Amino acid sequence: MEEAVVVFYAGPFAITSIVITTWGIMLFLGVFCWLATRQLSLDPGPVQTMLEGIILLIEESIEAVSPGYAQQMMPFIGTLWIYIVIANLVGIVPELHSPTGNLSVTAGLAILVFLSVHWFGIRNEGVRYLKHYLSPSPILLPFHLISEVTRTIALAVRLFGNIMSLELVALLVLFVAGLLVPVPVLMLHIVEALVQAYIFGMLALIYVAGAMQSQQNEKGASL
Amino acid sequence: MNFDWATFILEIINFLVLIWILKHFLYQPILDIIARRRAGIEKTLADAHQTKAEADKLKQQHEKFLAEWEKEKEDAQVRLMAELAAMRENKLAELNAKINEEAERRKVLDERAKREFERRMEEQGIAQGIAFTTKLFSRLASPQLEAGLYALLLEDLHGLSKENKRVITEATAVPELQIKVQSAFPLDENKQNELTHHLSDVAGRMLPIEFQVNPDLIAGFQIVIGSWILHANLRDELKFFSGSLQHATAGSQ
Repeated sequence: MEEAVVVFYAGPFAITSIVITTWGIMLFLGVFCWLATRQLSLDPGPVQTMLEGIILLIEESIEAVSPGYAQQMMPFIGTLWIYIVIANLVGIVPELHSPTGNLSVTAGLAILVFLSVHWFGIRNEGVRYLKHYLSPSPILLPFHLISEVTRTIALAVRLFGNIMSLELVALLVLFVAGLLVPVPVLMLHIVEALVQAYIFGMLALIYVAGAMQSQQNEKGASL
Repeated sequence: MNFDWATFILEIINFLVLIWILKHFLYQPILDIIARRRAGIEKTLADAHQTKAEADKLKQQHEKFLAEWEKEKEDAQVRLMAELAAMRENKLAELNAKINEEAERRKVLDERAKREFERRMEEQGIAQGIAFTTKLFSRLASPQLEAGLYALLLEDLHGLSKENKRVITEATAVPELQIKVQSAFPLDENKQNELTHHLSDVAGRMLPIEFQVNPDLIAGFQIVIGSWILHANLRDELKFFSGSLQHATAGSQ
């Protein structure tokens, strides 16, 4: 696996090729969405139909896990799915590397999920949200804390490991077998990119939904 | 597998910016247009429900109107039938009345025609009888018959009542009055003198008398005294007889 190349420095920050790729993805998504949603109509064209289908799919998936919170959670969860899919697929393009194949990127996303869990939990439940760490017994607080840390690390490492390994396998097969042999591996890359994005987003959704409904779960358990 | 803190921090910032970008350029517009479409669909559905409700209401009204119209039609038919029956009864009654009236009129006309026919038959019979009698008397007319009639004339002159004599006397008071005596056969001198004597007796004075022969009298005399005419001949008697018969026939009818 190639190390991220520092392209330039912006003050104390070393701007690597990974960050540049991320900016490119952001620019692509921003421009595409701006162009696609400039002239929306009640009689949609093919692009609008596709976008509406994606948004409705995201909304229904969130609604299935956390009924009534789809509008609130859609920007975060939806952006996770869209960004990770694009970031995973970027690795197929020659001379580009998937940002999600970098542990710094997946760790950043995992930290955001970790923070958003508490953000949505406190936003909806208030400070009482923190009580679930003491449930069913305060003795379990360390285990809750360990669980929070480990699942965040697991999120980051799972995505990083899968995407990094895909790129590495494709590179190894290319070196060993020749030019066209890695094509099936690249097709596997596409499937894996979609699956990993879905897993990451769905886990984030489950974590956030669990935090938002922690008090309800406790009430249900006490009953 | 190096961990780069700068990339880590920038990635967090980038993702937050991407959330803002997608929220403003993707989620919000798409959700808005979906919401507008849903609102439009709901509005269309609501309009459709309202239209359906109005249509149902109109349908009910229409069915109600149809039922009322059907009832009115049946009532009108019943009234029409009753009116037609009444009209037919009236017309039949009028027709029967006219038939009866016509029959009565025909009966009257028949009666009248019958009476007219009978009257004509009677008149014809009388006329034929008179003609026959006249013809018979014309053949039987003779100086002897006239002599008998002369005797009857004298007898009648003698038998005049005082009232008749007084009226005749008043009628002969006219100056230059001349008595005209017509006979079917010529009178001899004696009878003329005798008749002059009797007439002067009736008139109360001597008047000039003109004697004439008129065969139309068949037999007998006709004496004209001013406005008075004395008949003693078969022609006038037959006329009187015929008139009496006709008068009697008319009176019986």
